[in-house]
Amino acid sequence: MGQFKYRKFVSPILVLLIWQGISAYGIVPNWFLPIPTEVLKTLVGMMMSGEVPHHTLISLGRAVSGYLLAAVVGIALGLLIAWSTLIEDFFDPLIELIRPLSTFALIPIFFLWFGIGNTSKILIIFKSCFFPIVINTIAGIKGVDSKLIMAAQSLGANGFQLWTRVLLPSALPMIITGLRISTAIAMMALVGVEMLSSDSGLGFLVIDAQRTFDTERVFAGIGILSILGFSLDKLARYIQSKVLAWHSETSLGGGM
Amino acid sequence: MLIDACNIRKVFNGRKDKQETVAISDLSLGIERNEFVAIVGPSGCGKSTFLLMVAGLEKPSAGTLTIEGLPIKGPGVHRSIVFQEYLLFPWRTVEGNIEFGPRMRKVSKDDCRAGSRDLIELMGLKGFEDCYPHELSGGMRQRVAIARALANKPEVLLMDEPFGALDALTRESMQLELQNIWLKTRCTVLFVTHSISEAVFLADRVVVMSKRPGIIKEEILIDLERPRTREMHTTKEFRDYEAHLEGIVWEEVN
Repeated sequence: MGQFKYRKFVSPILVLLIWQGISAYGIVPNWFLPIPTEVLKTLVGMMMSGEVPHHTLISLGRAVSGYLLAAVVGIALGLLIAWSTLIEDFFDPLIELIRPLSTFALIPIFFLWFGIGNTSKILIIFKSCFFPIVINTIAGIKGVDSKLIMAAQSLGANGFQLWTRVLLPSALPMIITGLRISTAIAMMALVGVEMLSSDSGLGFLVIDAQRTFDTERVFAGIGILSILGFSLDKLARYIQSKVLAWHSETSLGGGM
Repeated sequence: MLIDACNIRKVFNGRKDKQETVAISDLSLGIERNEFVAIVGPSGCGKSTFLLMVAGLEKPSAGTLTIEGLPIKGPGVHRSIVFQEYLLFPWRTVEGNIEFGPRMRKVSKDDCRAGSRDLIELMGLKGFEDCYPHELSGGMRQRVAIARALANKPEVLLMDEPFGALDALTRESMQLELQNIWLKTRCTVLFVTHSISEAVFLADRVVVMSKRPGIIKEEILIDLERPRTREMHTTKEFRDYEAHLEGIVWEEVN
């Protein structure tokens, strides 16, 4: 991680100050753009009443379930596809057909098949996270330098050891990149599906406030989502830098 | 004869059309135990391919290749290879890289550690045990690669232009170190290089290969006493060997 820089706070604070000025002095009506300090008050109130923690936990539960499912299935299938051309030829057309399809196009079908409860929401998050993970896993394994494999073979590594001791660690930076991309995608899919059909979760909180023209609550909800997304990405980066301490690009603090 | 190559031929199939490339047309070469043999020749003459065959990482298309009278069927831990590109495992520390071979063979952790300690000492890597490869210079990386190859206690050390990516100074000091190691361990070395002076300096015998398709054009014994020193580069004998070999190699290039 890079060093702490105070000047990185300048632009967000500036935006907040201008926003405060515009809304507090009545340049635009408050139902259109609420005053930041009022939004903060609303947010604190929603925290204290337990409303925000309640919806956050529900949202996180859905996002984490869909994401973990995608991680497990995506990595496992990716490894199988990279291992066998037979398996690759079977799954590759399916992946290429479904991958470019917008997740939201599938929502009606998922609702039809799995109802509008948690199952369809988790599966929609799964669908959106699955492809970056599976594709990065395949690319990671296939991208291993064939001469590195030769070097390991000449040192005595057998087939199984090649996978566990050479291919997997070599592919790890790519696999982790796929996992990191998917954390952001999971949040996007989560909010979308909760706005379309739900009576709980942060997406619901925002859309419900909009329906009643409570713009302060809308902004408070967006604020929570923003903080949540930011924290999840920071967490993912932290895990990446710990797992890939040996990796030259990671130790330079770069996200790939 | 430790390694015996008899009428080796190697053909690569083209990727797109079915055009075949004959890398080696008819190569016969015997290598004695404890001998240091250098192979020189123009780029693409098949010298690295031959090395990979001895390592068991490529198969000859025709001909026989044996070690101690037995055909080479695949990689063996008693034939270690060192590549120009180091090819270290970036997620393993210096120590972890050196211990890779013994660990794969299920040698006990303590024995692995003891072996790597000795090699770290021998290769001048003390203090770098816990470094990752990306933290090391090219010369240091190649030291690790050599130590890693030696960790399996090979009878045959195969080296594919190991010092080709190093600067001139590092290269010269690595040549001296390799000679010292070889004098200590007395394993058989098969050394592929572009540099004629490197070949003369290190080898008991220099083999010159023709341009593709490769055959052996000439073999000469280098009768210079050991240990060889930097000063020998300027002696008349050394110069004569170099000039002679350069003449043959240049015939091939033009």
